[in-house]
Amino acid sequence: MSRRPFIILFLIGFALFSMVVTTTIGVADISSIDVFKIIISKIPGLTFLIEQDWPSTWDTIILQMRMPRVVLGFIVGASLSIAGAAFQGLLRNPLADPYTIGVSSGAALGATIAMFLQTSLNMTFQIGIPFFAFLGAIIALAFVYNLARVGNTVPVVTLLLAGVVISSFLSAVISLLMLLAGEHIRGIYFWLVGGLSLRNWSHVLMILPYIIAGSVAIMFWSRDLNVILLGEEEAANLGIEVEKVKKIMLVAASLITGAVVSVSGMIGFVGLIIPHTVRMIVGPDHRILIPTSALFGGIYLIWIDSLARTVMAPVEVPVGIITAFLGAPFFIYLLRSKRKDFRF
Amino acid sequence: MYVNLKVHDLSFTYQSLPVLSGVNFEVKKGDVLGIIGPNGSGKSTLLKNINALLKPLKGFVMLEGDNIFKMSRQKIAQSMAVVPQDTSIGFNFSVYEAVMMGRVPHLGRFQKEGEDDRTVVKESMEVTNCWSFKDRSVMELSGGERQRVILARALAQEPEIILLDEPTAFLDISYQTEIFDLIKELNIGKNLTVIAVLHDLNLAAQYCDHLILLNKGEIYKIGTPDEVITVDNIQEVYGTKVIISKHPVSKTPYVSLLPKIQNKFVKAISRKIHIIGGGGSASSLMEELFFQGMQLTAGVLNVGDKDWETAKNLGIDCTEELPFSFLSGEKHGENLEMIKNSDSVILTNTPFGRGNLKNLEAALFAVEKNFPVYIYEGFDVRLRDYTGGEAADIFQKLKDKGAREIANKSELLAIIKDKND
Repeated sequence: MSRRPFIILFLIGFALFSMVVTTTIGVADISSIDVFKIIISKIPGLTFLIEQDWPSTWDTIILQMRMPRVVLGFIVGASLSIAGAAFQGLLRNPLADPYTIGVSSGAALGATIAMFLQTSLNMTFQIGIPFFAFLGAIIALAFVYNLARVGNTVPVVTLLLAGVVISSFLSAVISLLMLLAGEHIRGIYFWLVGGLSLRNWSHVLMILPYIIAGSVAIMFWSRDLNVILLGEEEAANLGIEVEKVKKIMLVAASLITGAVVSVSGMIGFVGLIIPHTVRMIVGPDHRILIPTSALFGGIYLIWIDSLARTVMAPVEVPVGIITAFLGAPFFIYLLRSKRKDFRF
Repeated sequence: MYVNLKVHDLSFTYQSLPVLSGVNFEVKKGDVLGIIGPNGSGKSTLLKNINALLKPLKGFVMLEGDNIFKMSRQKIAQSMAVVPQDTSIGFNFSVYEAVMMGRVPHLGRFQKEGEDDRTVVKESMEVTNCWSFKDRSVMELSGGERQRVILARALAQEPEIILLDEPTAFLDISYQTEIFDLIKELNIGKNLTVIAVLHDLNLAAQYCDHLILLNKGEIYKIGTPDEVITVDNIQEVYGTKVIISKHPVSKTPYVSLLPKIQNKFVKAISRKIHIIGGGGSASSLMEELFFQGMQLTAGVLNVGDKDWETAKNLGIDCTEELPFSFLSGEKHGENLEMIKNSDSVILTNTPFGRGNLKNLEAALFAVEKNFPVYIYEGFDVRLRDYTGGEAADIFQKLKDKGAREIANKSELLAIIKDKND
């Protein structure tokens, strides 16, 4: 109980440290000290402390290229972890995350359609992509939810099955659209496999409102999520309006997923690995699990992204490929070790 | 005593199949009500309607004056707790955390658990003996420990009513007793109202003040265990022959099953035997013959007599007369009819007075009609003749006309089985 604030404080500190360190990683060789100085010099009121002794292009590299990417990486990792924790708790299944229940595919299709329209019809609505992604996520979720629904409740097994079916179908539609996109296929492909390259502050600002709204809702109902872990009937017997909480949670998690997918494509397994690992450390109480997972996931993704930038430099590996390399074995491990009860 | 819960004209259908129809009953504060009935009779469905997890087609449930289907889940949870049957908790909460969840209905959205909540949780855990392992993970618990934790959580809700759905279905007998003793203790100590769905009829009879016997979604019988658990009711609803005796300590009805296989096995040598007894003289013989698979009738027995009780509990057909009354001519006639339908007649060692002298005449009737009549024990009728010699006269005639005296039970059985083979 009492160590919880320390875990949170430690993770916040480590997150800040990670952001600064990963900002130094890149093709242009800029030291940590200089990165630190550049950041301090831009904080209003502190500017006078630092004397500028670096080329002004560094300002651009750090503040307009590396910083937004690191911050976005943190947000994406945190968001996927929050959504993953919410889905896992809600479905009482450690294998659930935005990907396994088809929400990401829906978001991806929504975003693909938006991009397809943009490229083939020469339309531009940059701001519209997250909205389309959210729409796709919600529509996919509605399909999955209604497909899985038995009477008034949504059993876990049917929800996962419906998720798999809808995912496969949506992936096929995405592939078809990519074929039709012709020469633009490379752009859509690189977005889809999941990457954070060439992202700027506008992307951060674009998705932030969605993510804040979704995360606040999930935190607000996090204690209910704990009780739902006992089973839906038991939760109802303990005074939880289970169906209402489930709907709110599903919409909130979809909102987050849609926003994330629209800027970073399909970065898989983060929402699966992080909450599961964090649960082993802090236990299953969502009031602590969700914020801890968010910090953990953010830190995880900025380091993975740094790896993606450097491992095959100067070629950048899409971060989604690395998370899949790390996540798939973990998923298999979970499947094997939890096979008996298929629960937490 | 005021009414805690009232179920009015409740009907429920599942996918247009009726599961419950026209269920009416009331539960008073501090009552222990058991719901029994065969599989598929609607027991669990009734329980889920009572706590508003299912919405009925018709009718309503009133919880202390409020319609439960119009209450919020939180409000319901503040006065009603549920202990379910299947309680596999598949996640890593500590026992203490799991019990603390019982406080959720009493907390505001962002309200932290306070000192009061911790006190209630500690008390609930002490009562149920799970304070000693409060820091263990719920996943590591044994079935009995887990059920105690669930009970502690239910108590932490500080409910007025506790609903139990076969709470000990998967537990061995020591845990069953432990859980039910605990529930009874709480019922008495805290005046907690208990509604329990039970499979085990003996457990139901022993721990419940009242029982509801459900049959195909309707109340077949409601009342005290003595009124509800009878051979006829069980036979009618479960379609199974049972014997009912008294629990040696609690004196509640005790149901024993009759293996069908035994009946089949002995059918080949089954005989129709009519027994004339009374005052307990025929009880042990009736039981013995019953277990041998004989088809028994008895008469005339006074209601409340020991032999009458035995006959009832074994489900034996008998002619009965009001307690301590003279045998009427009408009953005597019925008795003779039964004799006519039997293969042989046994007269047991019962005292004869003016009241039951007709039973002796019935035995004489049997001898005269050439039925084999066996006099079992008590050959010297003078020791039990309270008629001033009349009984002794008839008794003598019986013997003269061929009634056989047999003192030994196994000999009697052997003779009956041999007969006509």
